[in-house]
Amino acid sequence: MICEDLMRDLDAYVDRELDAGSASAVRDHLTGCIDCRQRVAEREALGRLIRSTPYYSAPDRLRARVSAQAMRSTTIRRMVPLAAAAMLLVSIGGGIALMRLTASRRADSAAATFASVAMVPMVDEVVDGHVRSLMGDHLFDVRSTDQHTVKPWFLGKLDFSPPVVDLASIGFPLVGGRLDYLGARPVAALVYQRQKHTINVFVFPDRDSSGTIAVRSVRGFHVRHWTRGGMSFWAVSDLNDAELTEFARALQAS
Amino acid sequence: MPPRAFEETVLPHLDAAFNYARWLTRNHAEAEDVVQDACVRAMRFFTSLRGDDARGWLFAIVRNTWYSRVARRASMTEVTPVDGAQDQTADNALDPEEQLLQQRDVARVRAALEQLPVDFREVIVLREIEGLSYKEIAAVVRIPIGTVMSRLARARERLLSVLKATAPMETLS
Repeated sequence: MICEDLMRDLDAYVDRELDAGSASAVRDHLTGCIDCRQRVAEREALGRLIRSTPYYSAPDRLRARVSAQAMRSTTIRRMVPLAAAAMLLVSIGGGIALMRLTASRRADSAAATFASVAMVPMVDEVVDGHVRSLMGDHLFDVRSTDQHTVKPWFLGKLDFSPPVVDLASIGFPLVGGRLDYLGARPVAALVYQRQKHTINVFVFPDRDSSGTIAVRSVRGFHVRHWTRGGMSFWAVSDLNDAELTEFARALQAS
Repeated sequence: MPPRAFEETVLPHLDAAFNYARWLTRNHAEAEDVVQDACVRAMRFFTSLRGDDARGWLFAIVRNTWYSRVARRASMTEVTPVDGAQDQTADNALDPEEQLLQQRDVARVRAALEQLPVDFREVIVLREIEGLSYKEIAAVVRIPIGTVMSRLARARERLLSVLKATAPMETLS
């Protein structure tokens, strides 16, 4: 590979959007080319600088106005199911056909990424749990970047001991943990940070075992699921797909 | 889709929507108006949210809302270049947040980013700040993935040359 070839792939490499083969070709070139290493370093530094600019969060008054609007429209929408129910009474056959159609469409899209359709409700719960933790003031029960503080905190609070590792060395610092409730059981929630993105990892015992990482996106959030050592892991974040996969792989391998 | 309340799906992405709108408009008050209009549209078209990417869906609505406002204004005043520097006059009042912005590099990189043409600015914001994948950016901006990549490359080249030109940057060497 010559520098010109690398220039074409440079940004995709920095953004972790290259396939494994191309990425490894770029890495090979970088070991022998100081100019291209400089180009990569510049782009990474630029990214860090851009992320250090102030984040424009929605002002409270905007949030309040949008909530108020949503409340008003929800009131109207609540009446729609009543109307739908009335229609169903008139035409039960049609209603059932419609329900079937909805169910099969949902199953199709799920099966594309998850082997088992039974996982789908769990994915929704995981995303709900993530959103809940960010909306209120309850992201942490124990706030610490030290795995040796976070792990013992769960002792006596759960009937299992979740594995806790810090991934700060690869840019995913552990920031804390809390007790949560998913799939009708108490679970450990570990909280990691990547720049301004929060990653929740839900952990609980699971007899199933599969080495693969399952991938799913729901409502703008990405979910990764795997089982290992008798534990089920669910990582969820609004972090981009590539970085969440990198995180999941690192956590799985740790 | 299941009867899930609008607020559960959309409100978690309100900060992201506002941040994107603020970088598009470069103006706090206008960003608020754009996001509020966008949320009204989002509510109206809520049932059209087919896929699972509510955040990307909301970004796309914010973007459309902003472009239709720009187009409307352009038809009234004849001249409103999207990429010009003339929007800035409207943003004289600094947020407290902005007043605290003292670090030199951060101020310079922000200024450089604000000066980028909007087509470049938005892909940088979606990628570097919001962390969207190329595929997700392509869906929001409605351009091919290859174009996402070339816009990002050109945007970074421009930013780097502006930043290197204005002062030697220790952070970039």
